[in-house]
Amino acid sequence: MTTFPIIQMKDVVVHAEGRDILSIDRLEIAAGERIAFIGNSGSGKTTLMRMLKGYVTPSRGEVSVLGQSLPIPERKSIRRYHRQIGMIHQHFDLIGQETVWQNVYHGRLGYVSFLRSIFCRFTEADIEICMQALREVHLEDKLNRFARTLSGGEQQRVAIARTLAQEPTIFLADEPVSSLDPGLSEDILDLLVSVCDTYHLTLLISLHLPELARRYAERIIAMRGGKIIWDGLPEELSGEMIQEIYGRDRVIRGEGNGRFERTNGVHLTWQQRYQGHPVPGG
Amino acid sequence: MVPPDWSVWDVLWRASIETLQTTIAGTFLGGLFAYPLGILAASNWTPVWIHLPVKGAMAFIRSIPLLILALLFVSAVGLGPFPGVLAIAVHSVGVLGRFVAEEIESTDPRPLLALQGTGASSVQIIQHGLIPQVLPQMVAHLAIRFEMNLRDSTILGLVGAGGLGFYVFLYVKQFQWEKTGVLCLAIVLLVFAGEFVSWQIRKRLL
Repeated sequence: MTTFPIIQMKDVVVHAEGRDILSIDRLEIAAGERIAFIGNSGSGKTTLMRMLKGYVTPSRGEVSVLGQSLPIPERKSIRRYHRQIGMIHQHFDLIGQETVWQNVYHGRLGYVSFLRSIFCRFTEADIEICMQALREVHLEDKLNRFARTLSGGEQQRVAIARTLAQEPTIFLADEPVSSLDPGLSEDILDLLVSVCDTYHLTLLISLHLPELARRYAERIIAMRGGKIIWDGLPEELSGEMIQEIYGRDRVIRGEGNGRFERTNGVHLTWQQRYQGHPVPGG
Repeated sequence: MVPPDWSVWDVLWRASIETLQTTIAGTFLGGLFAYPLGILAASNWTPVWIHLPVKGAMAFIRSIPLLILALLFVSAVGLGPFPGVLAIAVHSVGVLGRFVAEEIESTDPRPLLALQGTGASSVQIIQHGLIPQVLPQMVAHLAIRFEMNLRDSTILGLVGAGGLGFYVFLYVKQFQWEKTGVLCLAIVLLVFAGEFVSWQIRKRLL
Protein backbone atom coordinates (compact mmCIF):
# COMPACT_ATOMS: atom_id res chain seq x y z
CA MET A 1 0.00 0.00 0.00
CA THR A 2 1.38 3.35 -1.02
CA THR A 3 0.47 6.71 0.39
CA PHE A 4 0.30 8.41 -2.98
CA PRO A 5 -2.94 10.44 -3.05
CA ILE A 6 -5.18 9.18 -5.85
CA ILE A 7 -8.03 11.55 -5.03
CA GLN A 8 -7.35 15.20 -4.36
CA MET A 9 -9.92 17.94 -3.87
CA LYS A 10 -9.45 21.62 -3.23
CA ASP A 11 -12.21 24.18 -2.68
CA VAL A 12 -14.74 22.04 -4.49
CA VAL A 13 -18.32 23.26 -4.73
CA VAL A 14 -21.29 21.54 -6.33
CA HIS A 15 -24.11 23.97 -6.80
CA ALA A 16 -27.63 22.72 -7.50
CA GLU A 17 -31.18 23.82 -6.79
CA GLY A 18 -30.02 27.23 -5.65
CA ARG A 19 -27.62 26.08 -2.95
CA ASP A 20 -24.26 24.44 -2.48
CA ILE A 21 -25.07 20.78 -1.99
CA LEU A 22 -21.40 19.99 -1.60
CA SER A 23 -18.53 22.20 -0.54
CA ILE A 24 -15.23 20.65 0.39
CA ASP A 25 -12.22 22.76 1.26
CA ARG A 26 -9.67 20.03 1.11
CA LEU A 27 -9.68 16.27 0.90
CA GLU A 28 -6.97 13.81 0.03
CA ILE A 29 -7.41 10.08 -0.27
CA ALA A 30 -4.47 7.74 -0.67
CA ALA A 31 -4.40 4.57 -2.71
CA GLY A 32 -5.61 1.52 -0.81
CA GLU A 33 -7.47 3.42 1.88
CA ARG A 34 -10.77 2.14 3.27
CA ILE A 35 -12.97 5.07 4.09
CA ALA A 36 -16.53 5.31 5.36
CA PHE A 37 -18.58 8.42 4.79
CA ILE A 38 -21.27 8.94 7.39
CA GLY A 39 -23.98 11.53 7.81
CA ASN A 40 -27.67 12.12 7.30
CA SER A 41 -29.50 11.88 4.02
CA GLY A 42 -28.83 15.03 2.11
CA SER A 43 -25.49 15.55 3.81
CA GLY A 44 -23.65 15.28 0.52
CA LYS A 45 -22.27 11.73 0.76
CA THR A 46 -24.03 10.57 -2.37
CA THR A 47 -23.24 13.77 -4.26
CA LEU A 48 -19.58 13.33 -3.39
CA MET A 49 -19.62 9.76 -4.70
CA ARG A 50 -21.49 10.72 -7.83
CA MET A 51 -18.99 13.47 -8.45
CA LEU A 52 -16.07 11.06 -8.09
CA LYS A 53 -17.88 8.70 -10.47
CA GLY A 54 -18.20 11.48 -13.01
CA TYR A 55 -21.99 11.80 -12.92
CA VAL A 56 -22.05 15.15 -11.19
CA THR A 57 -19.96 18.03 -12.42
CA PRO A 58 -18.23 20.22 -9.82
CA SER A 59 -19.29 23.83 -10.21
CA ARG A 60 -15.97 25.21 -8.97
CA GLY A 61 -12.71 23.99 -7.57
CA GLU A 62 -10.17 21.37 -8.42
CA VAL A 63 -10.85 17.65 -8.32
CA SER A 64 -8.20 15.25 -9.42
CA VAL A 65 -8.87 11.52 -9.48
CA LEU A 66 -6.19 9.07 -10.63
CA GLY A 67 -4.28 11.96 -12.14
CA GLN A 68 -7.29 13.01 -14.19
CA SER A 69 -8.91 16.31 -13.41
CA LEU A 70 -12.69 16.49 -13.40
CA PRO A 71 -14.87 17.15 -15.33
CA ILE A 72 -13.50 15.12 -18.20
CA PRO A 73 -13.90 16.83 -21.54
CA GLU A 74 -13.87 14.14 -24.25
CA ARG A 75 -16.30 11.28 -24.61
CA LYS A 76 -13.67 8.65 -25.12
CA SER A 77 -11.78 9.37 -21.93
CA ILE A 78 -15.08 9.48 -20.01
CA ARG A 79 -15.59 5.81 -20.86
CA ARG A 80 -12.07 4.97 -19.78
CA TYR A 81 -12.57 6.95 -16.59
CA HIS A 82 -15.90 5.25 -15.80
CA ARG A 83 -14.20 1.90 -16.17
CA GLN A 84 -11.61 2.73 -13.52
CA ILE A 85 -14.17 3.79 -10.94
CA GLY A 86 -16.49 0.98 -9.84
CA MET A 87 -19.69 1.80 -8.06
CA ILE A 88 -22.45 -0.16 -6.36
CA HIS A 89 -25.74 1.29 -5.24
CA GLN A 90 -28.38 0.95 -2.58
CA HIS A 91 -30.86 -0.68 -4.95
CA PHE A 92 -28.31 -2.92 -6.71
CA ASP A 93 -29.37 -1.56 -10.12
CA LEU A 94 -29.05 -4.82 -12.00
CA ILE A 95 -30.91 -5.63 -15.20
CA GLY A 96 -33.53 -7.90 -13.61
CA GLN A 97 -34.58 -9.50 -16.88
CA GLU A 98 -31.09 -10.78 -17.58
CA THR A 99 -29.17 -13.60 -15.97
CA VAL A 100 -26.51 -13.31 -13.31
CA TRP A 101 -23.88 -14.14 -15.91
CA GLN A 102 -25.09 -11.43 -18.32
CA ASN A 103 -25.16 -8.88 -15.52
CA VAL A 104 -21.60 -9.66 -14.52
CA TYR A 105 -20.57 -9.52 -18.16
CA HIS A 106 -21.92 -5.95 -18.31
CA GLY A 107 -18.87 -5.02 -16.27
CA ARG A 108 -16.72 -5.87 -19.30
CA LEU A 109 -18.64 -3.62 -21.70
CA GLY A 110 -16.22 -0.76 -21.24
CA TYR A 111 -13.45 -2.95 -22.68
CA VAL A 112 -15.05 -4.84 -25.55
CA SER A 113 -15.20 -3.38 -29.02
CA PHE A 114 -18.42 -2.22 -30.62
CA LEU A 115 -18.83 -5.22 -32.94
CA ARG A 116 -17.99 -7.78 -30.30
CA SER A 117 -20.61 -6.39 -27.95
CA ILE A 118 -23.25 -6.24 -30.71
CA PHE A 119 -22.82 -9.93 -31.44
CA CYS A 120 -22.08 -10.89 -27.80
CA ARG A 121 -18.77 -12.48 -28.73
CA PHE A 122 -16.92 -12.90 -25.45
CA THR A 123 -13.21 -13.46 -25.45
CA GLU A 124 -11.69 -16.19 -23.29
CA ALA A 125 -10.04 -13.53 -21.14
CA ASP A 126 -13.34 -11.72 -20.53
CA ILE A 127 -15.06 -14.96 -19.55
CA GLU A 128 -12.25 -15.82 -17.16
CA ILE A 129 -12.41 -12.38 -15.52
CA CYS A 130 -16.19 -12.68 -15.07
CA MET A 131 -15.90 -16.20 -13.67
CA GLN A 132 -13.24 -15.06 -11.25
CA ALA A 133 -15.49 -12.17 -10.14
CA LEU A 134 -18.37 -14.60 -9.61
CA ARG A 135 -16.15 -16.91 -7.57
CA GLU A 136 -15.14 -13.97 -5.40
CA VAL A 137 -18.78 -13.35 -4.47
CA HIS A 138 -19.60 -17.08 -4.21
CA LEU A 139 -22.28 -17.06 -6.88
CA GLU A 140 -20.69 -19.35 -9.47
CA ASP A 141 -23.55 -21.84 -9.02
CA LYS A 142 -26.24 -19.29 -9.87
CA LEU A 143 -24.93 -18.22 -13.28
CA ASN A 144 -28.16 -18.77 -15.18
CA ARG A 145 -30.66 -17.46 -12.64
CA PHE A 146 -32.47 -14.28 -13.62
CA ALA A 147 -31.22 -11.41 -11.53
CA ARG A 148 -34.70 -10.38 -10.37
CA THR A 149 -35.31 -13.82 -8.85
CA LEU A 150 -32.39 -13.44 -6.44
CA SER A 151 -32.62 -12.15 -2.89
CA GLY A 152 -31.41 -8.66 -2.02
CA GLY A 153 -28.10 -9.86 -0.63
CA GLU A 154 -27.44 -12.01 -3.68
CA GLN A 155 -28.31 -9.13 -6.00
CA GLN A 156 -25.83 -6.91 -4.22
CA ARG A 157 -23.21 -9.66 -4.61
CA VAL A 158 -23.92 -9.76 -8.34
CA ALA A 159 -23.48 -5.99 -8.41
CA ILE A 160 -20.13 -6.38 -6.65
CA ALA A 161 -19.11 -9.05 -9.18
CA ARG A 162 -20.11 -6.75 -12.04
CA THR A 163 -17.99 -3.99 -10.57
CA LEU A 164 -15.04 -6.35 -10.10
CA ALA A 165 -15.38 -7.44 -13.72
CA GLN A 166 -14.72 -3.88 -14.81
CA GLU A 167 -11.34 -4.10 -13.01
CA PRO A 168 -11.60 -0.77 -11.21
CA THR A 169 -8.98 1.04 -9.20
CA ILE A 170 -11.42 2.79 -6.90
CA PHE A 171 -14.50 1.04 -5.50
CA LEU A 172 -17.37 3.33 -4.51
CA ALA A 173 -20.21 1.83 -2.49
CA ASP A 174 -23.15 4.21 -2.14
CA GLU A 175 -25.15 2.97 0.83
CA PRO A 176 -24.60 -0.63 -0.23
CA VAL A 177 -26.48 -2.12 2.71
CA SER A 178 -29.31 0.35 3.30
CA SER A 179 -31.92 -1.94 1.81
CA LEU A 180 -30.64 -5.14 3.41
CA ASP A 181 -31.26 -6.89 6.73
CA PRO A 182 -28.65 -6.25 9.45
CA GLY A 183 -27.18 -9.77 9.19
CA LEU A 184 -26.88 -9.55 5.43
CA SER A 185 -25.37 -6.08 5.72
CA GLU A 186 -22.44 -7.49 7.61
CA ASP A 187 -21.97 -10.27 5.05
CA ILE A 188 -21.90 -7.75 2.23
CA LEU A 189 -19.52 -5.41 4.03
CA ASP A 190 -17.23 -8.34 4.93
CA LEU A 191 -17.24 -9.33 1.29
CA LEU A 192 -16.54 -5.76 0.11
CA VAL A 193 -13.62 -5.38 2.47
CA SER A 194 -12.16 -8.74 1.53
CA VAL A 195 -12.36 -8.23 -2.24
CA CYS A 196 -10.91 -4.75 -1.94
CA ASP A 197 -8.04 -6.21 0.07
CA THR A 198 -7.51 -8.97 -2.48
CA TYR A 199 -7.37 -6.60 -5.43
CA HIS A 200 -5.78 -3.66 -3.58
CA LEU A 201 -8.68 -1.35 -4.35
CA THR A 202 -9.40 1.93 -2.67
CA LEU A 203 -12.77 1.49 -1.01
CA LEU A 204 -15.12 4.38 -0.28
CA ILE A 205 -18.36 3.41 1.43
CA SER A 206 -21.19 5.66 2.45
CA LEU A 207 -23.12 4.33 5.41
CA HIS A 208 -26.03 5.43 7.50
CA LEU A 209 -24.96 3.59 10.62
CA PRO A 210 -21.87 4.85 12.45
CA GLU A 211 -21.55 1.46 14.18
CA LEU A 212 -20.87 -0.24 10.84
CA ALA A 213 -18.49 2.52 9.80
CA ARG A 214 -16.51 2.06 13.01
CA ARG A 215 -16.23 -1.65 12.45
CA TYR A 216 -15.32 -1.73 8.77
CA ALA A 217 -13.47 1.47 7.94
CA GLU A 218 -9.90 2.51 8.56
CA ARG A 219 -10.83 6.15 8.31
CA ILE A 220 -14.18 7.87 8.84
CA ILE A 221 -15.29 11.08 7.21
CA ALA A 222 -18.45 12.65 8.59
CA MET A 223 -20.49 15.05 6.53
CA ARG A 224 -23.26 17.45 7.27
CA GLY A 225 -24.90 20.01 5.00
CA GLY A 226 -22.46 19.25 2.20
CA LYS A 227 -19.38 19.89 4.34
CA ILE A 228 -16.85 17.61 5.93
CA ILE A 229 -17.22 18.14 9.66
CA TRP A 230 -15.03 15.36 10.94
CA ASP A 231 -12.21 13.27 9.52
CA GLY A 232 -10.32 10.75 11.57
CA LEU A 233 -9.71 7.24 12.76
CA PRO A 234 -12.66 5.06 13.82
CA GLU A 235 -11.50 4.73 17.40
CA GLU A 236 -11.42 8.52 17.76
CA LEU A 237 -15.08 8.91 16.85
CA SER A 238 -16.79 9.75 20.11
CA GLY A 239 -20.45 9.51 21.08
CA GLU A 240 -20.79 13.30 21.27
CA MET A 241 -19.36 13.60 17.80
CA ILE A 242 -21.95 11.19 16.46
CA GLN A 243 -24.64 13.28 18.14
CA GLU A 244 -23.31 16.34 16.41
CA ILE A 245 -23.02 14.60 13.03
CA TYR A 246 -26.56 13.36 13.00
CA GLY A 247 -28.19 16.11 15.00
CA ARG A 248 -31.70 15.76 16.26
CA ASP A 249 -33.27 15.08 12.87
CA ARG A 250 -31.84 11.58 12.71
CA VAL A 251 -35.16 9.98 13.55
CA ILE A 252 -37.09 11.41 10.62
CA ARG A 253 -35.08 9.81 7.88
CA GLY A 254 -37.33 7.79 5.59
CA GLU A 255 -34.68 5.27 4.68
CA GLY A 256 -35.31 1.76 3.54
CA ASN A 257 -38.08 1.99 0.98
CA GLY A 258 -35.98 4.10 -1.36
CA ARG A 259 -38.99 5.96 -2.67
CA PHE A 260 -38.96 8.94 -0.40
CA GLU A 261 -36.10 10.58 1.33
CA ARG A 262 -36.29 13.64 3.45
CA THR A 263 -33.92 16.24 2.12
CA ASN A 264 -34.26 19.60 3.79
CA GLY A 265 -37.87 18.93 4.57
CA VAL A 266 -38.81 18.16 0.97
CA HIS A 267 -39.97 14.76 -0.15
CA LEU A 268 -38.37 13.69 -3.39
CA THR A 269 -39.20 10.63 -5.42
CA TRP A 270 -36.20 9.01 -7.00
CA GLN A 271 -37.30 10.23 -10.41
CA GLN A 272 -37.03 13.77 -9.14
CA ARG A 273 -33.68 13.04 -7.60
CA TYR A 274 -32.39 11.80 -10.93
CA GLN A 275 -33.93 14.60 -12.94
CA GLY A 276 -30.79 16.66 -12.84
CA HIS A 277 -28.79 13.69 -14.11
CA PRO A 278 -30.65 12.19 -17.06
CA VAL A 279 -29.85 8.73 -18.35
CA PRO A 280 -27.18 8.48 -21.04
CA GLY A 281 -28.01 9.67 -24.49
CA GLY A 282 -30.15 12.48 -23.16
CA MET B 1 -78.02 -15.42 -45.49
CA VAL B 2 -79.43 -18.84 -44.81
CA PRO B 3 -78.67 -21.41 -46.07
CA PRO B 4 -75.00 -20.52 -46.52
CA ASP B 5 -73.63 -21.08 -49.98
CA TRP B 6 -70.48 -23.12 -49.54
CA SER B 7 -69.53 -22.83 -53.19
CA VAL B 8 -67.42 -19.80 -52.29
CA TRP B 9 -65.02 -22.08 -50.41
CA ASP B 10 -62.29 -21.61 -52.98
CA VAL B 11 -62.52 -17.82 -52.97
CA LEU B 12 -62.84 -17.81 -49.22
CA TRP B 13 -59.68 -19.83 -48.72
CA ARG B 14 -57.61 -17.66 -51.03
CA ALA B 15 -58.96 -14.40 -49.58
CA SER B 16 -58.39 -15.50 -45.98
CA ILE B 17 -54.79 -16.40 -46.72
CA GLU B 18 -54.35 -13.04 -48.42
CA THR B 19 -55.80 -11.17 -45.44
CA LEU B 20 -53.55 -13.09 -43.08
CA GLN B 21 -50.49 -12.41 -45.23
CA THR B 22 -51.35 -8.74 -45.51
CA THR B 23 -51.67 -8.49 -41.75
CA ILE B 24 -48.45 -10.31 -40.97
CA ALA B 25 -46.42 -8.39 -43.54
CA GLY B 26 -47.94 -5.06 -42.51
CA THR B 27 -47.48 -5.63 -38.79
CA PHE B 28 -43.86 -6.69 -39.11
CA LEU B 29 -43.01 -3.94 -41.55
CA GLY B 30 -44.60 -1.48 -39.14
CA GLY B 31 -42.75 -2.98 -36.18
CA LEU B 32 -39.46 -2.70 -38.05
CA PHE B 33 -39.86 1.06 -38.21
CA ALA B 34 -41.79 1.54 -34.97
CA TYR B 35 -39.04 0.28 -32.62
CA PRO B 36 -36.24 2.62 -33.68
CA LEU B 37 -38.70 5.49 -34.03
CA GLY B 38 -40.05 4.66 -30.58
CA ILE B 39 -36.58 5.13 -29.09
CA LEU B 40 -36.31 8.47 -30.89
CA ALA B 41 -39.71 9.47 -29.50
CA ALA B 42 -38.81 8.65 -25.88
CA SER B 43 -38.34 11.90 -24.03
CA ASN B 44 -35.70 10.50 -21.69
CA TRP B 45 -33.43 9.39 -24.52
CA THR B 46 -33.48 12.13 -27.11
CA PRO B 47 -33.41 15.92 -26.91
CA VAL B 48 -36.69 17.77 -27.25
CA TRP B 49 -36.08 18.78 -30.86
CA ILE B 50 -36.00 15.11 -31.82
CA HIS B 51 -38.65 13.46 -29.66
CA LEU B 52 -41.29 16.14 -30.07
CA PRO B 53 -41.41 16.09 -33.90
CA VAL B 54 -41.28 12.27 -33.95
CA LYS B 55 -44.11 12.07 -31.41
CA GLY B 56 -46.05 14.64 -33.42
CA ALA B 57 -45.59 12.69 -36.64
CA MET B 58 -46.83 9.55 -34.93
CA ALA B 59 -49.86 11.34 -33.54
CA PHE B 60 -50.59 12.65 -37.03
CA ILE B 61 -50.40 9.14 -38.49
CA ARG B 62 -52.68 7.80 -35.76
CA SER B 63 -55.25 10.45 -36.55
CA ILE B 64 -55.71 9.15 -40.09
CA PRO B 65 -58.25 6.29 -40.22
CA LEU B 66 -56.86 3.07 -41.64
CA LEU B 67 -59.36 3.07 -44.50
CA ILE B 68 -58.28 6.52 -45.62
CA LEU B 69 -54.65 5.42 -45.50
CA ALA B 70 -55.57 2.39 -47.61
CA LEU B 71 -57.39 4.64 -50.10
CA LEU B 72 -54.30 6.82 -50.38
CA PHE B 73 -52.05 3.83 -51.01
CA VAL B 74 -54.47 2.27 -53.49
CA SER B 75 -54.34 5.43 -55.55
CA ALA B 76 -50.58 5.55 -55.18
CA VAL B 77 -49.56 1.96 -55.97
CA GLY B 78 -52.70 0.40 -57.46
CA LEU B 79 -55.20 -2.25 -56.39
CA GLY B 80 -54.31 -5.45 -54.54
CA PRO B 81 -52.88 -6.52 -51.20
CA PHE B 82 -49.73 -4.38 -51.48
CA PRO B 83 -51.43 -1.06 -50.60
CA GLY B 84 -53.09 -2.93 -47.73
CA VAL B 85 -49.68 -3.95 -46.38
CA LEU B 86 -48.44 -0.37 -46.62
CA ALA B 87 -51.54 1.06 -44.94
CA ILE B 88 -51.28 -1.38 -42.04
CA ALA B 89 -47.54 -0.78 -41.72
CA VAL B 90 -47.89 2.99 -41.58
CA HIS B 91 -50.79 2.81 -39.15
CA SER B 92 -48.82 0.38 -36.94
CA VAL B 93 -45.84 2.73 -36.85
CA GLY B 94 -48.10 5.40 -35.40
CA VAL B 95 -49.64 3.19 -32.75
CA LEU B 96 -46.74 0.88 -31.89
CA GLY B 97 -44.19 3.67 -31.89
CA ARG B 98 -46.14 5.47 -29.23
CA PHE B 99 -46.36 2.34 -27.06
CA VAL B 100 -42.63 1.75 -27.48
CA ALA B 101 -41.87 5.33 -26.50
CA GLU B 102 -44.09 5.16 -23.43
CA GLU B 103 -42.60 1.84 -22.39
CA ILE B 104 -39.09 3.24 -22.69
CA GLU B 105 -40.03 6.38 -20.78
CA SER B 106 -41.29 4.30 -17.88
CA THR B 107 -38.18 2.11 -17.53
CA ASP B 108 -36.07 2.41 -14.40
CA PRO B 109 -33.15 4.72 -15.27
CA ARG B 110 -30.92 3.51 -12.45
CA PRO B 111 -29.76 0.21 -13.99
CA LEU B 112 -28.95 2.13 -17.17
CA LEU B 113 -26.92 4.62 -15.19
CA ALA B 114 -25.12 1.71 -13.51
CA LEU B 115 -24.37 0.30 -16.94
CA GLN B 116 -23.00 3.63 -18.08
CA GLY B 117 -20.88 3.51 -14.95
CA THR B 118 -19.15 0.36 -16.16
CA GLY B 119 -17.90 2.29 -19.18
CA ALA B 120 -20.54 1.06 -21.63
CA SER B 121 -21.23 3.18 -24.70
CA SER B 122 -24.69 4.45 -25.64
CA VAL B 123 -25.27 1.64 -28.12
CA GLN B 124 -24.20 -0.92 -25.53
CA ILE B 125 -26.51 0.62 -22.97
CA ILE B 126 -29.43 0.31 -25.40
CA GLN B 127 -28.54 -3.26 -26.30
CA HIS B 128 -27.69 -4.63 -22.86
CA GLY B 129 -29.71 -2.36 -20.59
CA LEU B 130 -32.73 -0.91 -22.32
CA ILE B 131 -33.81 -3.68 -24.69
CA PRO B 132 -33.79 -6.50 -22.09
CA GLN B 133 -35.94 -4.33 -19.84
CA VAL B 134 -38.59 -3.53 -22.44
CA LEU B 135 -38.48 -6.55 -24.78
CA PRO B 136 -41.31 -8.62 -23.22
CA GLN B 137 -43.71 -5.68 -23.30
CA MET B 138 -42.57 -4.81 -26.82
CA VAL B 139 -43.40 -8.25 -28.13
CA ALA B 140 -46.71 -8.20 -26.27
CA HIS B 141 -47.60 -4.90 -27.93
CA LEU B 142 -46.68 -6.36 -31.31
CA ALA B 143 -48.99 -9.31 -30.63
CA ILE B 144 -51.88 -7.01 -29.72
CA ARG B 145 -51.18 -4.94 -32.81
CA PHE B 146 -51.26 -8.09 -34.93
CA GLU B 147 -54.62 -9.02 -33.48
CA MET B 148 -56.08 -5.57 -34.14
CA ASN B 149 -54.55 -5.31 -37.59
CA LEU B 150 -56.10 -8.64 -38.51
CA ARG B 151 -59.51 -7.30 -37.54
CA ASP B 152 -58.91 -4.06 -39.47
CA SER B 153 -57.51 -5.71 -42.57
CA THR B 154 -60.66 -7.79 -43.10
CA ILE B 155 -62.39 -4.62 -44.28
CA LEU B 156 -59.50 -3.16 -46.27
CA GLY B 157 -60.95 -4.85 -49.35
CA LEU B 158 -63.72 -2.26 -49.32
CA VAL B 159 -61.36 0.25 -50.90
CA GLY B 160 -59.67 -2.30 -53.13
CA ALA B 161 -56.77 -3.22 -50.91
CA GLY B 162 -57.29 -6.97 -51.14
CA GLY B 163 -58.39 -9.72 -48.80
CA LEU B 164 -61.74 -10.91 -47.53
CA GLY B 165 -63.33 -7.47 -47.49
CA PHE B 166 -63.14 -7.20 -51.25
CA TYR B 167 -65.34 -10.27 -51.71
CA VAL B 168 -67.73 -9.26 -48.94
CA PHE B 169 -68.21 -5.97 -50.73
CA LEU B 170 -68.55 -7.74 -54.08
CA TYR B 171 -71.25 -10.18 -52.94
CA VAL B 172 -73.15 -7.50 -51.01
CA LYS B 173 -73.35 -5.43 -54.19
CA GLN B 174 -74.66 -8.48 -56.07
CA PHE B 175 -77.19 -9.26 -53.31
CA GLN B 176 -75.65 -12.75 -52.90
CA TRP B 177 -76.37 -12.89 -49.18
CA GLU B 178 -75.74 -16.64 -48.87
CA LYS B 179 -72.14 -16.14 -49.97
CA THR B 180 -71.73 -13.00 -47.85
CA GLY B 181 -72.82 -14.98 -44.80
CA VAL B 182 -70.09 -17.56 -45.31
CA LEU B 183 -67.48 -14.83 -45.66
CA CYS B 184 -68.67 -13.05 -42.51
CA LEU B 185 -68.40 -16.34 -40.64
CA ALA B 186 -64.85 -16.71 -41.94
CA ILE B 187 -63.98 -13.20 -40.72
CA VAL B 188 -65.28 -14.00 -37.26
CA LEU B 189 -63.28 -17.23 -37.13
CA LEU B 190 -60.13 -15.55 -38.42
CA VAL B 191 -60.35 -12.75 -35.86
CA PHE B 192 -60.94 -15.28 -33.11
CA ALA B 193 -57.90 -17.27 -34.22
CA GLY B 194 -55.82 -14.10 -34.27
CA GLU B 195 -56.88 -13.18 -30.76
CA PHE B 196 -56.09 -16.68 -29.56
CA VAL B 197 -52.58 -16.57 -31.00
CA SER B 198 -51.93 -13.12 -29.56
CA TRP B 199 -53.28 -14.20 -26.16
CA GLN B 200 -51.05 -17.26 -26.14
CA ILE B 201 -47.98 -15.17 -26.97
CA ARG B 202 -48.73 -12.63 -24.28
CA LYS B 203 -49.50 -15.31 -21.71
CA ARG B 204 -46.04 -16.80 -22.21
CA LEU B 205 -44.31 -13.44 -22.07
CA LEU B 206 -45.77 -11.54 -19.16
